[in-house]
Amino acid sequence: MQALDKALAQVGRVVLGKEEQLKLALTCMLANGHLLIEDLPGMGKTTLAHALARVFQLDYRRVQFTSDMLPADILGVSVFDPSTQQFSLREGPVFTQLLLADEINRATPKTQSALLEAMEERQVTLDGVTRPLPAPFFVVATQNPVDQAGTFVLPESQLDRFLMRISLGYPAPDVELELLAGGDLRQQVRELKAVINGEGLMKLAQVVGKIRVTRELLDYVQRLLDATRSDDRFVAGLSPRAGLGLLRAARAWALITGRDYVLPEDVQAVWASVAEHRLSARQGGSVAAISQSLLQSVPVVRR
Amino acid sequence: MARIYQVPSHTRLWLTLAVTFCALPQLLKGPLWQGGLFALVIAIRALVNRQRVALPGRIIRSLLLMGAVALTFYSFGRLYGPEAGVALLVSLFGLKYLEVVSQRDAYVLLVLGFFVCATSLLFSQSPLMFLYVLLCMVLLTACLAGINHSDTRASGLQHLKRAGIIMAQAVPLMLILFVLVPRVAPLWNMQVGNGKARTGMTDSMAPGQISELSESSALAFRVVFDGDMPPPAERYWRGLTLSHFDGRAWQQAIPRGMDEARYLYGGRGPTPDWVDALTAGRGDGTSYAYQVIVEPTQRRWLFAMPVPFVSEGGVSLARDMRLVANNPVSQRQSYQVVSVPAATRRLPLVAEEKALMLSIPDESGRRARGLAQQWRLENPSDAAVVQQALRYFRQQPFHYTLRPPKLVADPIDDFLFRSRKGFCEHYASSFTFLMRAAGIPARVVVGYQGGEQNSLGSHLLVRQYDAHAWSEVWLEGQGWVRVDPTGAVAPERVERGLRAALEERDSGGELSGIQFDGFADSGLLGVMREWADYVDFRWQTWVLGYDSQLQLSVLSKLLGQVTPLRVAITLMVSVALLLGLYGLYLFWRNPAHSQSPLEKEFWRLHQRAQACGLALAPGVTPSQLASTIAERWPRAASPAQDWARYYQRALYDPRQKTRKQQMRHLRGLRNRLYKLLD
Repeated sequence: MQALDKALAQVGRVVLGKEEQLKLALTCMLANGHLLIEDLPGMGKTTLAHALARVFQLDYRRVQFTSDMLPADILGVSVFDPSTQQFSLREGPVFTQLLLADEINRATPKTQSALLEAMEERQVTLDGVTRPLPAPFFVVATQNPVDQAGTFVLPESQLDRFLMRISLGYPAPDVELELLAGGDLRQQVRELKAVINGEGLMKLAQVVGKIRVTRELLDYVQRLLDATRSDDRFVAGLSPRAGLGLLRAARAWALITGRDYVLPEDVQAVWASVAEHRLSARQGGSVAAISQSLLQSVPVVRR
Repeated sequence: MARIYQVPSHTRLWLTLAVTFCALPQLLKGPLWQGGLFALVIAIRALVNRQRVALPGRIIRSLLLMGAVALTFYSFGRLYGPEAGVALLVSLFGLKYLEVVSQRDAYVLLVLGFFVCATSLLFSQSPLMFLYVLLCMVLLTACLAGINHSDTRASGLQHLKRAGIIMAQAVPLMLILFVLVPRVAPLWNMQVGNGKARTGMTDSMAPGQISELSESSALAFRVVFDGDMPPPAERYWRGLTLSHFDGRAWQQAIPRGMDEARYLYGGRGPTPDWVDALTAGRGDGTSYAYQVIVEPTQRRWLFAMPVPFVSEGGVSLARDMRLVANNPVSQRQSYQVVSVPAATRRLPLVAEEKALMLSIPDESGRRARGLAQQWRLENPSDAAVVQQALRYFRQQPFHYTLRPPKLVADPIDDFLFRSRKGFCEHYASSFTFLMRAAGIPARVVVGYQGGEQNSLGSHLLVRQYDAHAWSEVWLEGQGWVRVDPTGAVAPERVERGLRAALEERDSGGELSGIQFDGFADSGLLGVMREWADYVDFRWQTWVLGYDSQLQLSVLSKLLGQVTPLRVAITLMVSVALLLGLYGLYLFWRNPAHSQSPLEKEFWRLHQRAQACGLALAPGVTPSQLASTIAERWPRAASPAQDWARYYQRALYDPRQKTRKQQMRHLRGLRNRLYKLLD
């Protein structure tokens, strides 16, 4: 637990004033899920991903997605080697531990789905040979919500692959002042100390599975899921996979908070980032507003 | 074949158990080859289940079938009738089990199993058999649950549990249907013989022919008195009168020239004059009202104290003051009797009857005849002759024994003047002979004497070893008077029963031959016997004895007037009520609708805080509730936080088990909070 606090503190040194989001990002990693960051350019998405990789000693690669990108550019390609007279696989950038997929919505659906499949299966099949991806394997994808020209919006089914979606937002004025006063960000990231390695992270992820939940808490989670399904302001309710993700994220949150059992507060803390990107509101509705209203109206304790 | 239609492996054990248990009652009493057949079938199935052998083919199965049919015919001499039919059914049941592969076969087998269960009740209706059949039905239901279970990894115990629950749920419904559904008299009378009648009583009596009395402790009948019980010495249960003596044996007889149809009166047609005469005496002196529940005898005779009056259909009164069933008693039967001992004096003795009651064969008992005539000369009245005879038995060295020597030559003289060792039959026979020789009309009565009281049910238990024979003599003005010569020889036989009589003068281990099952045994065994008898008795009176008549009286107590419409409405309403209760139970048991005490605890505080003017969403967590309270009422801050911390742990930390103590603590915290609000 101390390691987690330290990790948060480390990342907090370069991503200033975003404790909540950092905690969520960490939660997502502990819950073994992929993270989608939706934000304008220059808000610190890359810095965050890079800092996470540093702190956890993970291999880190970054891919800038463009519309002319092909699946092979991510997954890898078989190349004929004249010296051995054989094809050999040249691994793509996906063979890493933390992949930053920048502006994922700029790629064609074909390329998007190639990556998303790799995310789900945690393995890549090329020319009939299946290769496992390194463990742990995290994808942090970013998306620009405003500039929609020439983009391919990720469909809901693809969004479901991301455990959480967060957005960083503008920094508070005093924080921004500090940021401006600070030195070279890249340099600062490089100076971050590693807290745990990938193996340690995986062990922690196993601990997450052992965080205790009571029947009453599961009941609450179920009531929340049910509420999204019966609320006709949504096009469709949350899937069981989303429910499992919500529970896993709540467990990870509880672990980071330093508790070995889950409280309803943990569920509420991860609720927005787990649920909102999977839901879409009917015309004129705001998903965030509706999902927050559900937190208010769904009884925490059975009545 | 698709696996889903096969009998799942977790049900196979239950299927084997169900088949074995259902067939067991028949196997125990049926022919030996049937047990062998079942052992073979079960062994084959066990091997098949372990995939050691394949299921036998059509030829082997056909051979087994033909063998079973042939053996049934060989054992019973026919293929129909209750015993042979059930034996055949059980054999076919076993053979069906041999070929069960698919779910559909299993259904056929299980339905057959329920039927086989039901046939067990044809032969025994004891409470134990009933419980046993219930057990079989639980097993069959477990099989049904099992073959319908889609999960191939389900555990077998789960099926048993489910079957138990289903059966338990069915019990109230069963009781309602039992009480309310109209009882219909059986459409056919099935004569199921329980082997031979093991009664201690026979319909003829030949003292000296048998040298040893075989007596068992089996139940003969039970008597439930509505009022007072007669003293032990009065408890003579008449079964038959034997009036014809051929020198060796006493037999039943109807006086020559008397109309047989007029000898019995079943309550229909014109009443014979003797019935009128007896009925006129119904109000004479003491009377005893009681119910007799008689075990099956396969005979028509019934037992009662003199003079019995019955109002039951199916039971007739005979001129010799005994009761006769219209059909042989093949099942337990009960009848209500009012006995008026004094009414006997009203019965006239007509000439034909007198002739029969005085008849003795010319060549037998010459010395006895001389003795009787001597008494006749010495005594003026008949009553005095009777006393003289009893004195004779008392004073001469007569000896009561169950193992008398065989009588040679003339049984009367040989007994009276030579052996002088015998039991009730010998005394009754020779006494009656002496009376007839002295010109007093007399007859032998056989039946039971005494009985043991069960203190739990306060009913009387008469066993086979209570079988007895005594005499009746006709005295002018008194009618038929009971005289028990055995009482003169061994008074304790009459007063305290056979056991006492034998213990008193046990010479040569006569007791060892008889198994006494009385309650007299002190200690646990006696108490257990008494209880077992009581349960059996209540079973008999409340369950088996619940016939249309009893049903009518129960229903009229429940409904007032019994009309088909009322019964139908009651039936429907009570079934609907029961199903409604089940529904309510399911509704409340549904976790979505039941709140635990802990959960209630939260909402109490929530409501209270709202009532005190706090705006609260339903979606607040316990700690949010506490902090909202703390914000509004700062002095309540610390107890509110205490409460939240405690409550959170109780509800969301699985290691925290809620105990009563904890609940009390929480309630205390909440009450303290209450005072700090508003």
